Amino acid sequence: MVIPISVTMADVSVNIAEQRRELPAKEFREVVFDVRDLGVAYSGNQALEGVSLEIYRNFVTAFIGPSGCGKSTFIRCFNRMNDLIPGAVVEGTILYHGEDLYGGPVDPVEVRKRIGMVFQKPNPFPKSIYDNVAFGPRVLGMTDGLDERVEKALHQAALWDEVKDRLKAGALSLSGGQQQRLCIARCLAVEPEVILMDEPASALDPIATTRIEDLMHGLKEEYTIVVVTHNMQQAARVADMTAFFSVTRGDEGQRTGILVEYDATSKIFTQPSDKRTEDYVTGRFG
Amino acid sequence: MSTPAGADYPHGMRVTFQEELDRLEANLQEESELVLRSLRGAINALEQQDTELADEVIAFDDEVDARYLDISQGIEQLLARQTPVAIDLRLVLAVLHINLGLERMADLCVTIAKLTKLTARLEPDEELVEAFEEMGSRGEEMLRVAMTSFADRDLTGAESLVDLDELIDRANRRVVKHVLELGNDPALREWGLRMIVVSRCLERVGDHAVDIGEQTAYLVTGEFREFTDASHPEDS
Repeated sequence: MVIPISVTMADVSVNIAEQRRELPAKEFREVVFDVRDLGVAYSGNQALEGVSLEIYRNFVTAFIGPSGCGKSTFIRCFNRMNDLIPGAVVEGTILYHGEDLYGGPVDPVEVRKRIGMVFQKPNPFPKSIYDNVAFGPRVLGMTDGLDERVEKALHQAALWDEVKDRLKAGALSLSGGQQQRLCIARCLAVEPEVILMDEPASALDPIATTRIEDLMHGLKEEYTIVVVTHNMQQAARVADMTAFFSVTRGDEGQRTGILVEYDATSKIFTQPSDKRTEDYVTGRFG
Repeated sequence: MSTPAGADYPHGMRVTFQEELDRLEANLQEESELVLRSLRGAINALEQQDTELADEVIAFDDEVDARYLDISQGIEQLLARQTPVAIDLRLVLAVLHINLGLERMADLCVTIAKLTKLTARLEPDEELVEAFEEMGSRGEEMLRVAMTSFADRDLTGAESLVDLDELIDRANRRVVKHVLELGNDPALREWGLRMIVVSRCLERVGDHAVDIGEQTAYLVTGEFREFTDASHPEDS
């Protein structure tokens, strides 16, 4: 049978696009967060200023930059974690599906249910594996079908096969990598829309890190993921979009984080538009 | 007035990496010098029907091959150990392509040298020999322009290769036309047929020089584009 060349070439084009992991055009992206001119100050010290960007649904978005550039400060704005720090002031707006996240009627607890967070160090509760995952649903009254909910979350976090026979064992008996996946399962159990990850693999060995990265690839099918990472290659591997933050120093030496460049990860790591981004990703400073 | 935070950091980070990149690029420039010697040798051997010189050109290809291998291994090491990104990645990829182009140019010189040996017993046509001298000189010029533009990150210089290539292409077409008009003498026709291949080799040298120019443009702009598109000439 002769295969028409036009058909085979079309297949080739699709394959090439898949291999390049090309992102959908902007008009086909759903904006989850629309950040406008955001600034954060701690007790009068400006930690971050003038940040504007959009976070897209079912994308992995990475924040990279040198220490003190405000990337962790920024990610904490998305679930109002900075509210818990005395003296913290957030300026500008973050629209979450068009609604002002810092608007008066918004309940921070509801926000944190829909926007979960995983931290640098695995922080399971000193309870059983099961109780860790069931904790959020119990607090929120989501107790119908709790066993199924726990199992589903553990499956999604790629931990089920390793713990299914010892759900009553203490969470602290797990390895570091397993503990971090347990924390991800705990986050998933309340069915958030967004998962914020602040250096989720920096305390893990390379194998455990790979598992977390694989997990992120799988999870973005259902969730929107925002990740802060010090590891630039990790951003290059997992993220669809990457934001590079840097620091400016004021006259009196005060350091303020700024957003330098935000673009498709493939662009940031092959042809960044800003010299400062290039200097950072090529390791020439930072 | 605020200052960029980069000022806080010491200059000259990733010194070893930068040295390796510099070494790779210097090695590539040296490889191009070897190819120029090969090209000049091939043209001189052809003009003078000097089979000894032709043998030297053939043997000299080992030098180019060794350099090609050395650069390829350097690239492999850099990719594996330094994970270059952004402009560093573009430089390494450009060197990868140019290295291959240079090695192929040297192979074309070997082909010319072998054809010179094959036709040594045949009487050459003076007009064609002069045409090859012209094509060879243009090929040398193009390679020099290509490598200088690459070293200087000179986009204008790189783009000028398209016009230079057109001159070689025209000369190639003239050679073909001339060979077709050589007449019925079987010896002259045999010589002519072999010389069409020589002409094609020199024309390909020009094409490879244009390819190097395209890599320079990629390095400078981050966008890869062909200067001329053989399948859509009207768009070029």
